[in-house]
Amino acid sequence: MTSRLTMAIPLTEQRSWIRLLEQCGIGCAVIAALTFICYKLQFPIATVGFIYLLAIVVASLVYGIWQAILISLVALSCLNFFFIPPKWSFAVADERDWIALVSFQVCALVVSRLSSREQKMARDANYQRIQMKKLYELSRGILLFDLHQPPGLQLVHLIRRIFLADDVAIFDANLARLDHEGHWSTEEQQIAKTAYLADTNEDDREIYTTQRVIRSGSTAIGAIAIRGEIDPLIANSIASLAAIALERHRSYEKESRAESAQQAEQLRVAVLDSLAHAFKTPLTAICTASSGLLEMGTLDETGLELAELIDEESIALNQLCTRLLQTAKLETSSVTLRTEPVVMSNLVKDVVSGLSTALEGHPIELAIEEQDTPLQADRELLKMILTQYLDNAAKYSAPETPIGIAVRESKSELLLSVCNRGSVIQMQDRERVFERFYRGAEARKHVPGTGVGLSIVKKAVEAHRGHVWVISTEEEGTTFFLSMPKLQAGGC
Amino acid sequence: MESGLILIVDDETSIRRALHTTLCKLGFKTVEAARGEEALSLVRANTFDAVLLDINMPGMSGIETCRSIRVISPRIPILMLTVRDSEDDKVEALDAGADDYITKPFQLRELTARIRAAMRWAKPANSQSDEPMLVLQVGDIELDPVRRTVKKANRLVHLTPKEFELTRHLMTYAGRPVPHSRLLTAVWGPEYGKELEYLRTFMHQLRRKLEDDPANPQYLLTDAHVGYRFVDEL
Repeated sequence: MTSRLTMAIPLTEQRSWIRLLEQCGIGCAVIAALTFICYKLQFPIATVGFIYLLAIVVASLVYGIWQAILISLVALSCLNFFFIPPKWSFAVADERDWIALVSFQVCALVVSRLSSREQKMARDANYQRIQMKKLYELSRGILLFDLHQPPGLQLVHLIRRIFLADDVAIFDANLARLDHEGHWSTEEQQIAKTAYLADTNEDDREIYTTQRVIRSGSTAIGAIAIRGEIDPLIANSIASLAAIALERHRSYEKESRAESAQQAEQLRVAVLDSLAHAFKTPLTAICTASSGLLEMGTLDETGLELAELIDEESIALNQLCTRLLQTAKLETSSVTLRTEPVVMSNLVKDVVSGLSTALEGHPIELAIEEQDTPLQADRELLKMILTQYLDNAAKYSAPETPIGIAVRESKSELLLSVCNRGSVIQMQDRERVFERFYRGAEARKHVPGTGVGLSIVKKAVEAHRGHVWVISTEEEGTTFFLSMPKLQAGGC
Repeated sequence: MESGLILIVDDETSIRRALHTTLCKLGFKTVEAARGEEALSLVRANTFDAVLLDINMPGMSGIETCRSIRVISPRIPILMLTVRDSEDDKVEALDAGADDYITKPFQLRELTARIRAAMRWAKPANSQSDEPMLVLQVGDIELDPVRRTVKKANRLVHLTPKEFELTRHLMTYAGRPVPHSRLLTAVWGPEYGKELEYLRTFMHQLRRKLEDDPANPQYLLTDAHVGYRFVDEL
């Protein structure tokens, strides 16, 4: 990969030597011309010295300090040889002329140094200005990136165009992709990935290649390799700008992912919502008809029995719809509590009577200890939680076995438990039964269900800043608990 | 046997059919409308004893229809049928002028009770709001607006002025749900409307004074997230 470039470097070095020699030659020629003119016109030594100085200043401004020093030495020799007596000799007759010669040379050196330094500073400033302009252009270009496209490809194109680089390769660790523009072969492009993996920054002057790890904070998020004349400091800046571009793209992706997840969730809830409502219309008609039939009082015994069956089942179906709706609402990320004073004994009785068909055959054992201060909670959510617990207790226990409901209230806390005599929940399942869609191995085999109910319970309890857990043993049966702090009055 | 002319406004044919059949059998006469606009022209042309109005209809919405019916006929009892459990809808319906709401699906007995109650309010002789000086009585609770006294089972109950105003307002609209904001405005003043905790405290006090079992109220009922309701018959 480097053969073409290793050839190129001596070439440029040769060129710079030739240029140096050329410039010195021109300088010497000018000095020779000036010497000839001054000699012919018989100028005094002082004038000649000043003329030489002028030439040296010009040389230092135009060419640089080394050329100026060489030219000044030539001028010194000419001054000595042609103008200081004895003429046409390097000897010096009057010792005071030595002082003149030395001061001439010192002057020449100082002047050329000063002027060349001035020149260099101006050049540096100009260089800096151009580099800043390029970096600015890069940062502006980055802001205009199409966020729907991977950033690497856009970056390499931009950097190569602005910094006139031969090759640019960027490895984006987040997307695990390598982007390249230029002449490098597929193999050579890997240099960017290697730099990322080895975590090394490198400026290889021999092959004119710069590698920088792209960091966001202290984390490496990629690497960039550039072949071309790039100052190390500028390379650092390019890497920082690249980091911003990659990071910006990453957060955009994250945001849009979150947004689409939220949209999907909203859509799901909307579908559930409209489904449940679509069920409610025919249910209303059925309910009205069946309760109407009962109200008429014109039915015989069988008719009455059947009408009652329709009535009860349509009410059960309605409760199912309501719960489905509640579930859908709870599953959206934010749960808003509508707290109100709740009397637990009434609520428990309500729920138990509402579930009478589901709890058929299970004697209910109630143990309620209440405080005077009513509990502040979302009544509907509490009902839903208790319904879920009771439903599960009935589903997972043998027929005719009792189900125990215990409520204990203290000044600051409510503790509710529902106990059944069913199969033991394995230790490894106890945490996970509250996870969405999780169902224990036993449950999957024997009992129909979706694995959503308990996860909703957990969510509802957490909205009340409480928590849920389960204890399950052979002797004591399975008990689901919930505890929640008594909330301060608020909302309605 | 019941009697009265009822307008049923619902876009669902099945619900109109079920309501028509059952209500007719019970003695009511019914007229049906599938759309709000249709209902409005019917209200203009006839005198109904009550309107059953679905809140969720295509075209002119139930709320909008309710508002327009109120303009045409300020006294006609309007019962909203809601399928949503959303409390905002119910409050909006009450604010639009509805007298009561009932959530679908409902039991026929509950519906007829509500219709009866609504028709009672509309009868001018019983309209207590027109004659504020009349003694109000529900069950064994008696409120005398002139003497500003409240009796329970013929025993005087001591109420603070705010408690009295609250009771009077609720009893004036007995049987109908009164939204929180309306109660606050009526009793505390027009600049109130969101101070639900005032209401909660006062209702708690009132129940202790008027109810046999404050935890299980018979008179002062809570309409969850909507408001309060004083029963009109026990």
